[in-house]
Amino acid sequence: MDDFGGQGLPPDHPQLLDRLALELIESGWDVKSMVKLIVSSKTYRQSSGVRNNRGSEGQGVLSELESMDPENRLFARQSHYRLPAELVRDAVLSISGLLVDEYGGASVKPYQPAGYYRHLNFPERKYKQHNDRRQWRRGVYVHWQRQFLHPMLKAFDAPRREECTAERPRSNTPTAAMALLNDPRFVEAARVFAEQILRIDDQSRTDTAGLEYAFRKAVSRSPDPEELHTLTLLLESHRRQYAKTPGAARELIAIGQAPVARDLDPVQLAAWTSVTRTILNLNETITRN
Amino acid sequence: MNQSRNYESIIRANRRTFLSRGGLGLGALALGTLLDRDAVGQRRTASLASSRLAGLPHLKPRAKRVIFLCMAGGPSHLETFDYKPQLARMNGLPMPESFTRGEPIAQLQGVELKCQGPMCRFQQHGVNGQTISDFLPWQAKVADELCIVRSMVTEQINHDPAHTFMNTGSAINGRPSMGAWVNYGLGSESDDFPGFVVLTSVGGRNPQPIASRQWSAGFLPSRYQGVEFNAAGDPVHYLQSPAGVNLVRQRELVQTIQHLDRHRNQQVGDGEVDTRIAAYEMAFRMQTSVPELMDVSGEPQSVLDMYGAEPGDGSFASNCLLARRLAERGVRFIHLYHRGWDHHGDLIRYMNTCCELTDKPTWALLSDLKQRGMLDDTLIIWGGEFGRTPMVQHKGSQPGRDHHIKGFSMWLAGGGARGGVTYGETDELGYNAVKDVVHVRDLHATMLHLLGINHERFSVPYQGLDMRLTGVESARIVEELLS
Repeated sequence: MDDFGGQGLPPDHPQLLDRLALELIESGWDVKSMVKLIVSSKTYRQSSGVRNNRGSEGQGVLSELESMDPENRLFARQSHYRLPAELVRDAVLSISGLLVDEYGGASVKPYQPAGYYRHLNFPERKYKQHNDRRQWRRGVYVHWQRQFLHPMLKAFDAPRREECTAERPRSNTPTAAMALLNDPRFVEAARVFAEQILRIDDQSRTDTAGLEYAFRKAVSRSPDPEELHTLTLLLESHRRQYAKTPGAARELIAIGQAPVARDLDPVQLAAWTSVTRTILNLNETITRN
Repeated sequence: MNQSRNYESIIRANRRTFLSRGGLGLGALALGTLLDRDAVGQRRTASLASSRLAGLPHLKPRAKRVIFLCMAGGPSHLETFDYKPQLARMNGLPMPESFTRGEPIAQLQGVELKCQGPMCRFQQHGVNGQTISDFLPWQAKVADELCIVRSMVTEQINHDPAHTFMNTGSAINGRPSMGAWVNYGLGSESDDFPGFVVLTSVGGRNPQPIASRQWSAGFLPSRYQGVEFNAAGDPVHYLQSPAGVNLVRQRELVQTIQHLDRHRNQQVGDGEVDTRIAAYEMAFRMQTSVPELMDVSGEPQSVLDMYGAEPGDGSFASNCLLARRLAERGVRFIHLYHRGWDHHGDLIRYMNTCCELTDKPTWALLSDLKQRGMLDDTLIIWGGEFGRTPMVQHKGSQPGRDHHIKGFSMWLAGGGARGGVTYGETDELGYNAVKDVVHVRDLHATMLHLLGINHERFSVPYQGLDMRLTGVESARIVEELLS
């Protein structure tokens, strides 16, 4: 997108672009209607594709489409890409049920590592975190400090807004991994998500049912046998470990400001929090598929 | 006395510690077996940053790594390495217009320009009689290692753009910094640390922040960006596992994530997943490696005293010690920033402040590396984003100097640099670099050369250009700086 002009690559669908340009003009320059037109098109609503025909090692064989058009320039399928930073936050909060869906109003200040603003000057600034429900509002409402962008947003390539960024990079860095793993906001979300799972109607709630529910909530599909098996092993392993160290279980579930469910067994909750942390960290969870 | 603890032994120690603390219970065996199967596959996956570009190095490298000691704010060359007796004779007299007419000027715009002589004594040091100011007695002790360049020039006269210029070779935003270029080309020698680490020190006077875009990867893949290790609090943001989650549990969690990602990716074929898996791997390793790095309690007191470092104080001294430790652990580009050199006024007072905090640790770092046999393959670069004017500036109660770009001083040491020499000259008033001029681009070309990279053949196509650290204009390798 930064490559327009004489030195850039020619478009792949020039006639479509002409058509859309005309539509834009004829609509009265209505950007919203253009967006609606694009996202409700058959092209946009394609799946990003799942490979068929497992090879001998269980590897999906590259589909014909992928070999012909690896970069998906022809849009014969939808692309998958990692969500932008603000939406990574929204997705995690939304899955856990913590997202506060209010519109408008002043910027919000969620949790941020202590002392992050210590180098700021002219004037110096102290970060005052919001401790009420404002802290769970959408990412677009988060306070934007350009020179010292919130580390979680920065880790997921949010631009500083010092200059126009036509296209955000989509990086996979250890910094981003650490943020998604260890940011107290996400740990809290995982715990609240786990509480939801433990509250499923008691009679039907087996571990498998719980994992099924969690998967559907996070990635809109059922887990396959391998995924079920792996997560069950993790759940059982952490149940055993937390049963031996209930103090650690209590520490984990106490993270964050959402009130901790007092009626749930801390060991169960901690073990399920490990599972939900895992699910929230999956590539698929933070990818627009 | 050789106290070197090489990289291998450190990693072995880490693994032993992990396993001894791990105590994987019987119950975890099933999960462990499942995830261990992945470990075999893992080795096939390219690790995050360790691979070098095909074809590199172009020539035999002299240096394996760089430690860049940035004296942010712009130290005066006239009070460090460039003695100007003529300027002393003209102290208080008007600065001749022939020098300043039409030239860029910063805060002294519109002010009547007067000469300010050197505010310190200079003496000869080392075998070759290097001229070094009395403000830097400790660096003077290692004069034989220093390759002093007095003819540096840059093109940006204010701090942030000048840092951008020094870091990226361009004043245009969005270009990769040196550290990112070097890692992109050569990869990292460590799987436990990012290849580009930034340390900013506290202490002294720190009016200006250094923006993190100074160590960005620009248009190179983000994994080559610098990672800042903080002096206070968590060394790296979100480094610590949440409370109640020990290393074993975190490890199982991370491996499960990697396993499931890999499994799903067989169906989906997202090319980025391998990078993601490697990123999680490094993230987890850093949870152990970074605290181990920062824990200097194992260092002998004599070493701590040599640097003048108090563990965890975030000082330049501590950062120099950390830089040595990072070098031992295979980090490719280590960038230190010490701020406070912007002496518009009260120069003597603030030079004392800055030098007290940086002079001895710099000497210590060089000496320490030399003792460990690491100076030969570690290139050290010292300097600021620009120099200071021969004309006086009166901000504060005592004289100072304004920003100056037409001639300033830096030095190189180790890693193939020719110690004990001084290269280049400014004119009699220390205004213009006149002899053997070294542009920032030339410094970059020379640095890349010492790392085994031909700067003209090291480019990335972007926005219709073959982008290079050294840009599109000419840049020369300064042969006289090489040993």
